[in-house]
Amino acid sequence: MKDIFIVMKFTILDMVKRKAFIISTIVILLLIVGGFAAVKIFSGDGKVKVLTILVHDQENIFNNKLDNLNLKELGYKFSKTDKSIEDIKSKVNSDSDVDALIINKNKDGSIVLTYIVKNLFFSNGIPEDLANILSSVYTSNGLEKLNLTKEQIASLNPVFEYRYEQAGEEVKGNIAVMMGISIILFYAIYFCAFQVSSSITTEKTSKIIEMLVTSTSPRNIVLGKTLGIGIVGLCQLALNILTSFICARIFIDKQVLSKVVDLSTITVSLALITLLYFILGYLTYALLYALTGSTVSKPEDVQSANGPVAIIAVIGFYLSYFTMMNPTGKLNLLAALLPISSPFCMPLRIMMGLASYKEVILSVLILIITIIVVANISIKIYTRAILYSGSKLNFKKIIMLYKQK
Amino acid sequence: MGLKLENVTKTYGKKKAVDNISFSINKPGIFGLLGTNGAGKTTTIRMILDILSKDSGSITWNGKNVSRKDVNFGYLPEERGVYPKIKIIDQLIYFAKLKGISKEDSIKSINKWAKILEVEEYIQMTPDKLSKGNQQKIQFMTAIIHDPELLVLDEPFSGLDPVNTGILKKVILELIKKGKYIIMSAHEMHTIEEFCSDIIILDKGKTVLKGNLNEIKSTYPANRVSVITEKGIDDIIEEAKLEIENSHDNYYLIKVKNEQEAWNLLKKIVKKNILITKFEIMKPTLNDIFVEKVRS
Repeated sequence: MKDIFIVMKFTILDMVKRKAFIISTIVILLLIVGGFAAVKIFSGDGKVKVLTILVHDQENIFNNKLDNLNLKELGYKFSKTDKSIEDIKSKVNSDSDVDALIINKNKDGSIVLTYIVKNLFFSNGIPEDLANILSSVYTSNGLEKLNLTKEQIASLNPVFEYRYEQAGEEVKGNIAVMMGISIILFYAIYFCAFQVSSSITTEKTSKIIEMLVTSTSPRNIVLGKTLGIGIVGLCQLALNILTSFICARIFIDKQVLSKVVDLSTITVSLALITLLYFILGYLTYALLYALTGSTVSKPEDVQSANGPVAIIAVIGFYLSYFTMMNPTGKLNLLAALLPISSPFCMPLRIMMGLASYKEVILSVLILIITIIVVANISIKIYTRAILYSGSKLNFKKIIMLYKQK
Repeated sequence: MGLKLENVTKTYGKKKAVDNISFSINKPGIFGLLGTNGAGKTTTIRMILDILSKDSGSITWNGKNVSRKDVNFGYLPEERGVYPKIKIIDQLIYFAKLKGISKEDSIKSINKWAKILEVEEYIQMTPDKLSKGNQQKIQFMTAIIHDPELLVLDEPFSGLDPVNTGILKKVILELIKKGKYIIMSAHEMHTIEEFCSDIIILDKGKTVLKGNLNEIKSTYPANRVSVITEKGIDDIIEEAKLEIENSHDNYYLIKVKNEQEAWNLLKKIVKKNILITKFEIMKPTLNDIFVEKVRS
C-alpha cells in the first residue's frame, strides 16, 4: 500500500512539472475565459436586443397606431418617419439595429408593406411575429372604425396563453446543454485515462521499467500510476469547471444563464455523483489503457495498440450522446447502466430528474464490478507483458500471457 | 548463507530459455554469469530477482525462496534507462523510497555515492543533459543506494570510458570488501577474469561450464607461448611445425598443444644462441575456454 502512494506521488509530481502539462492547462483556462468573454462581447449586455423599425406611412393607413405600441419585450420599436425613401435606405444601411417599413396603398385598395433590411442575403423575410403584429393592429384599427365597444373588439381579438405539457416523464434542463456536458465528461475521462497508457509505454520503451519492477510489484506500479494521473486529471477538470463557473457569473447575465441551464438542478449531491462517475469511468478506461500500454515495446505502436480501447470508448460515448435526444427512451436507460457509457450518461439522467435511486445504485455497482475485473486482468497481463520486448503483442499472444502461470 | 539455484527451468512457448541450471554463491564476492546472446543470462537474472516466475526448480537466498519483498536486491540492467526529464535527485529518492529507505537517509546515501562516483555536480540536473557514461553512473547509484545484500550487474562497464571504468571498478572492489554478493554478467572476458572467482557459462539455456575460474584453467593445458628475442625466429618456428598467432618486431605469440611443445621450442632457440628477452608459457584465457565451450 505504501508503495502505491510512493508511485502515485511521484506520478503526480512528474505530471505537474511537465512543460506540456503546464502550457496545456494555461491554454485551456485562457480558452474558457476567452470563450465566455466572446459570448459577452457578441451578445452585448445580455439583454434582449431591440430592433428599431422606421415606419413610413404617408397615407396614415395604420392611423399612427404603431407608434403607441410597446413591443420592446418582443424586440421591436416602431418609429414614424417622414424622410425620403432614399434617406431611410441610407439609415438602414448605416445602422445594423434599424430596419424600415414602407406602407403604401395600390389603386385597387390593397396594401403593400415593403420591409427594408440592410442585406437580403442574411434575411429570412418579414419576421412572423412582426407580420402578426401588423395584421392585428390593422384589424383593430378597422374594428374601431365600426364604433364597437372595447369588449366587443377584445372578443374579436382574443389573447391566447399557450402552455406546453408532456404526456410522459418531465425532463428538466436543456437537452443541448446536457449533450455538451456529456462531451466534456467524455473528453475529461478519455484523455485522462489515455495518459496512463502513454506513461506506461514511456517507462517500458525507455527501459526504466526493469529497474522499477525490481523495486516494487507491477500491481503497485499500475495502481499508483492510475491514481496519480487520475488525481491530476480531476484537479485539472475541477479547475476548469471552477473557472467556467466564475466566468459565467462575471460575463453572462443571470437571467440569460438561467434560460440555458436550470441552476436549481445543480446541487452538491449532483456534483458528488458526477465526481463519483468521473472517478469510476476514469478507472475503467485507465486500467484498460494500462493493459494496452504494457503490450507495446515501441512508441510508434502505441496508437494501434490503444485502438480497441478507443473504439470501446467512442461506442460508449455515442450511445450516451445520441440516446440523450430521447432521454426517456429505453436505450438511454441502457446507456446509463452499461459500464462503457454510464459515466457519460448517468450524471445527466440524474440532472434531468429521470434516474431512480435503484438505477443509480445498480449502475454504480456494475461499474465497480467492471473495475475490479478489468484491474485484475490488466495487472495480470501487465505483469507478464511489461518485460516483453519485440513486436506488438496481438490478441492471441495477450490471451496466452493471461493464461500463463 | 548465500544464493542457491537448483534445477531451474524456464520455457517460453516451445523454447527452453533456461534448461535445468544449478549453481550457488556461498561467499561474498563476484560470480560471473557468461553466455552468448540468447544463452539465457537475462532470464536467469530475472528469475533470481523474482520478476519472472520459473517453471521448475528452486532459487533460495539464505535458505529461503527468493522474493522481491524479502531480499534486498540491487540491479543494474543491461539496457540502461532513466527518466530523462526528471531531476536526478528526485528519481534517486523515488527508487530509494520504493526500497524502503526514508527520504533523509536516501539523501545522505545519494550525497555519499555522488561524491564517490564523481557526479555531485549533476545531481540537481535532468539526465537528458548528461553524457551516456554519466547516465550509467546515475543508474549504478540507483542499484546501490539502498545498500543491497545481493547486487546483480548486467554489463556494468559497457559504454564507459577508461576513467569511468576505473571509478566503477574501484566501487565494486569496495563493495566486495564490505561483504556484498555480486552477480556480474559481461561480454568482456578480461573483466570477468579480473573480478570473478567463480563462473558459469550458459549456451542455449544449458550449463556448459561452471566452477572456480582458477581450477577450471588448471585443467586446461598450455596453449600459447609468448616469446621476445633479439632477432627473428620464424625459421625455428617453421621447423618445429608450430603456428604463429601474432608477431611483430621479434615478438611472437605461438600456438602450442601442450607445455612440452613449448619446452622443445625453447631448446631450439637456445641451441642457435639467440638471446631471449621473454619466454612465457601461457594457459588458455577465459575467452579461449568460452569460445571452445560454446563452439563445441
